[in-house]
Amino acid sequence: MGSEMEPLLLAWSYFRRRKFQLCTDLCTQMLEKSPYDQEPDPELPVSQAAWILKARALTEMVYIDEIDVHQEGIAEMVLDENAIAQVPRPGTSLKLPGTNQTGGPSPAVRPITQAGRPITGFLRPSTQSGRPGTMEQAIRTPRTAYTARPITSSSGRFVRLGTASMLTSPDGPFINLSRLNLAKYAQKPKLAKALFEYIFHHENDVKTALDLAALSTEHSQYKDWWWKVQIGKCYYRLGMYREAEKQFKSALKQQEMVDTFLYLAKVYISLDQPVTALNLFKQGLDKFPGEVTLLCGIARIYEEMNNIPSATEYYKEVLKQDNTHVEAIACIGSNHFYSDQPEVALRFYRRLLQMGVYNCQLFNNLGLCCFYAQQYDMTLTSFERALSLAENEEEVADVWYNLGHVAVGIGDTNLAHQCFRLALVNNNHHAEAYNNLAVLEMRKGHVDQARALLQTASSLAPHMYEPHFNFATISDKIGDLQRSYVAAQKSEAAFPDHVDTQHLIKQLKRHFAML
Amino acid sequence: MAEVKSMFREVLPKQGQLSVEDITTMVLCKPKLLPLKSLTLEKLEKMQQAAQDTIRQQEVTEKEQQQITQ
Repeated sequence: MGSEMEPLLLAWSYFRRRKFQLCTDLCTQMLEKSPYDQEPDPELPVSQAAWILKARALTEMVYIDEIDVHQEGIAEMVLDENAIAQVPRPGTSLKLPGTNQTGGPSPAVRPITQAGRPITGFLRPSTQSGRPGTMEQAIRTPRTAYTARPITSSSGRFVRLGTASMLTSPDGPFINLSRLNLAKYAQKPKLAKALFEYIFHHENDVKTALDLAALSTEHSQYKDWWWKVQIGKCYYRLGMYREAEKQFKSALKQQEMVDTFLYLAKVYISLDQPVTALNLFKQGLDKFPGEVTLLCGIARIYEEMNNIPSATEYYKEVLKQDNTHVEAIACIGSNHFYSDQPEVALRFYRRLLQMGVYNCQLFNNLGLCCFYAQQYDMTLTSFERALSLAENEEEVADVWYNLGHVAVGIGDTNLAHQCFRLALVNNNHHAEAYNNLAVLEMRKGHVDQARALLQTASSLAPHMYEPHFNFATISDKIGDLQRSYVAAQKSEAAFPDHVDTQHLIKQLKRHFAML
Repeated sequence: MAEVKSMFREVLPKQGQLSVEDITTMVLCKPKLLPLKSLTLEKLEKMQQAAQDTIRQQEVTEKEQQQITQ
């Protein structure tokens, strides 16, 4: 039957069923029979249709929602020209999260990321970057809680996807961009839109895409909001935020769309103007009441500004509209866990399990919640499941690390020791495991080993206060007051409100004054 | 039962000073809930993995071909 079917219809059917590889293969065959290479020929409508379809299928294969894409390479982080003030007022910047003024959790309860924010319950491409304050920090990028990844992958991610797609096709790329007569395509709006998406998403050639979009918007006499949004997207990718802002605003004047609001807010976030972005989202909510993506955007900004109560409020609002929103459930769940309500958190994570989320992270969280909510029967089975579902060594390491906590909780020091060791075997950069191992070694009285472990931990994760504080305590005990003081100062820098650190520093100062 | 209850009574001193020696203990890092991944992120990672695999395969086949020609 299949061979008798009209090939174009079959290809369409493949496309609709999201079998993109089959669709492109079929289109390639059709195009080989009646080549429709670089020139659109109105006399060959079938091959033109096949050509568009192939372009769209190739685009769909690598399509990712542009709203979620947020690439911040090392250059953007360190050489930021768009910052308005070097030292912004508190509460107006994402780079300087207000510490605890807004009731955020203290690092004594909730672990923090390298950027000084409490760890989040949900991971998006943009939560990964974590802006480091200095060049030195940027280069070292300790990978704690997955918030900071090596720089090369963040800047090279999109480029590499493009090259891979070229490698897979032996006859070179499907469309040779340099030979394309863009002006000709810009005359045909329907063709041009498909072609633009192909260039933008599949080839990642933002400059050519921008040229096409500029020609097309000219052809439509600046009346098509869609092209304006696309130009804005291109400008954003090129890092020209102010130009992007102009395009999005102009598009919004013509036609109000949720997407455009989201793109514009993304520009403001990149410009480090969270308050403007918040106002924009609220404007958007006036036009589109109850829109989940807008509500979620507000919640994300509050969370990044360390204003957890407001973030939770908006996540709850999201759940009122869409009660299967994974991000909202996960974030509320983790907030409950870290505000001492593991049994409530357990309910949220169980909800996720019922919804069909089935991965290592969820089972790990379930295990932790069960343990702290005193449901011991489920704890170890959850962790076992988490270990079997782990996809890479970092995940395995994190599960073992958490199992170590369970072991500490039941007082089985040997098991805890083994768990933290296993965490380190799987991930050699696990600073938390080093720290906890040091505490266990210290209980056994192995001072030198503990010191060495703590030094490793503090060099891996200078943003955590625990290793610094522990090192200060040990040094103080063995009489190395100078080192103790230096470490205590680092600890204070990481966590200014820590009472024990302040005590220690006061004590040391008294010692020094006596000398 | 009432007799048993009366046997154990808490001792709460009403007068005198209470002193507690404050010993600084070492701090453990806290348990870490793992963040769930968004769909976009999962797709990105999958695509990246696939891209790397194809590149690696390509390299392997190239090497094999070079060996054959030599």
